[in-house]
Amino acid sequence: MDEITTTGLTKNFGDLVAVDHMDLNIPSGTIFGLLGPNGAGKSTTTRLLSTLLRPTEGTATVSEFDIIKEPVRVREVTGVLPEESNHTLYPSLTAYENLEYFARLYDVPEEEIPSRIEELLTFMVLWDRKDDRAGELSTGNRQRLALCRAILHRPKVLLLDEPTSALDPIAAKRVRELILELSKKYKQTFLINSHNLPEVQRVCDRIAIIDEGKILLQGKTQELRSKLLAKQQFRIRIVGDVDKAGSIAKSMNFVEDIKLEVDSVLVTVEDPTENNSSLMQNLLSQGIKIVEFAEEEATLEDLYLEVVKGGVQ
Amino acid sequence: MMRKSITVAKTDFKNALDLRFVKLGLIMSIAFGPVMIILMFGSLMAIVPPAEFGIVVAVLGPIVPSILGIFSIIPTTMIAANALVGEREMNTLEPLLCTPLTDRELLWGKTMAGAIPSLIILVSSTIVSVVGVAVLTIVMGFPMLIILDLPGVFLLSTAVPIMIFAIIAVMIIVSGRVTRVYEAYQMTTAVIIVFIIPMILPMIGLETGNIEELVWFSNFITLLISAVLFIVGWAVALRLFNRDKLVSMV
Repeated sequence: MDEITTTGLTKNFGDLVAVDHMDLNIPSGTIFGLLGPNGAGKSTTTRLLSTLLRPTEGTATVSEFDIIKEPVRVREVTGVLPEESNHTLYPSLTAYENLEYFARLYDVPEEEIPSRIEELLTFMVLWDRKDDRAGELSTGNRQRLALCRAILHRPKVLLLDEPTSALDPIAAKRVRELILELSKKYKQTFLINSHNLPEVQRVCDRIAIIDEGKILLQGKTQELRSKLLAKQQFRIRIVGDVDKAGSIAKSMNFVEDIKLEVDSVLVTVEDPTENNSSLMQNLLSQGIKIVEFAEEEATLEDLYLEVVKGGVQ
Repeated sequence: MMRKSITVAKTDFKNALDLRFVKLGLIMSIAFGPVMIILMFGSLMAIVPPAEFGIVVAVLGPIVPSILGIFSIIPTTMIAANALVGEREMNTLEPLLCTPLTDRELLWGKTMAGAIPSLIILVSSTIVSVVGVAVLTIVMGFPMLIILDLPGVFLLSTAVPIMIFAIIAVMIIVSGRVTRVYEAYQMTTAVIIVFIIPMILPMIGLETGNIEELVWFSNFITLLISAVLFIVGWAVALRLFNRDKLVSMV
């Protein structure tokens, strides 16, 4: 079953088309990453799905509730972490009061509110700060508190806009672990907007790449990555003159592409099984000291850059 | 529905109290009305001979409900401005609108946050002023004076509460057009000027001697303006209140 479905979803702001006939299907329990440059339409998509904005055209369902006809039901089953969420807390309320307020608005049973708040604040290592005003917390702590607020009512769907943007590496790792844990424990569906491609690669089962409001590519993360793996790029890390090693590699007719880095030469060859040993022998015979010769794993960043440049369809 | 609205109202009031200008405004609203009235009558009793005191009361009496009304309405403008425009200024509006609150629950909450403190101040400052002046007259050897007459009670029990709710409607309309609390606050404060009518208009009758008729007339005029503002304001506010527009402005 698809937890989120959009059909021709479009949002215009005057002449600007922020989301352009978007068709998206996110299966239940999926962690879905929405990637795209600034202004691509990621946040507008989140705002449409959370019923904050009304589509100009098309529609969408969240947990089978129509965003136009049943907005209150959609909001009941959705948890939202808005863009720059560390600035969206009530600064004069304490961390505990912020969560208590939203627990009541989300209809969390009154008797469960204290235990849920304690559980979440403890998990996010914020329990000791529960009586501190949100405005006095650090950026990272505010971001974690905002995430607590989004998941407090155990929604079926979580819409997270840059969930780790303001966090240090340890806190970001904790959030990623939380996302994976929630997905496993409660089978929640996540839509994550992110610029952090390694993070998306680590967490998301499926991704879509969006630009100018249009989906350029969507599918399972592994499948999309394997598209690039077929190109088989190899990294030759050397000690010494990288330019010389590059020139030698370039002179060989089976080398299709070459990129130079500080200590490495990245090469793409016609047939790695046949060509790699010849390439290595040639480099060694001309005095190049090879430290490493390994297959370069294609990253989501490569895929992203390829798609945004229009290289992969 | 009411439970969630009350939750919103309590939080809005708490958030508003955190702002110095609201806190000082509330203290001013609570204290200034009764203090002004008690001091005004106290000083008059000290300088005006008892025989002429009746005339003074006839002239100054109509001012009392206006003063109490104006100081009671001020908190509404401050709290409602913070509750509606302030949410957007603080960036807290978006998560609030993401909750399952209906538009009605949200507006009820915001309305209660702005109206209830003002209504409490209206009642309490009226009681303190009436009792204060009555006690003062006895202490100063005058016959006990009840400063609030029937036209005054009429104004305080009709036009003032209606204006409090009308101002919230105006604030909802304004909230879709301004981005700063002080802009909203300035725009709605202008509405309070209506309550100068019952202060000024009866003075015209000083020479002709028909002050009482003019007091009733000016109170009815004030009520009429408040009622029109209330009806038109809420009709427009309910039509214009739009999550899409509010969020698009964030």
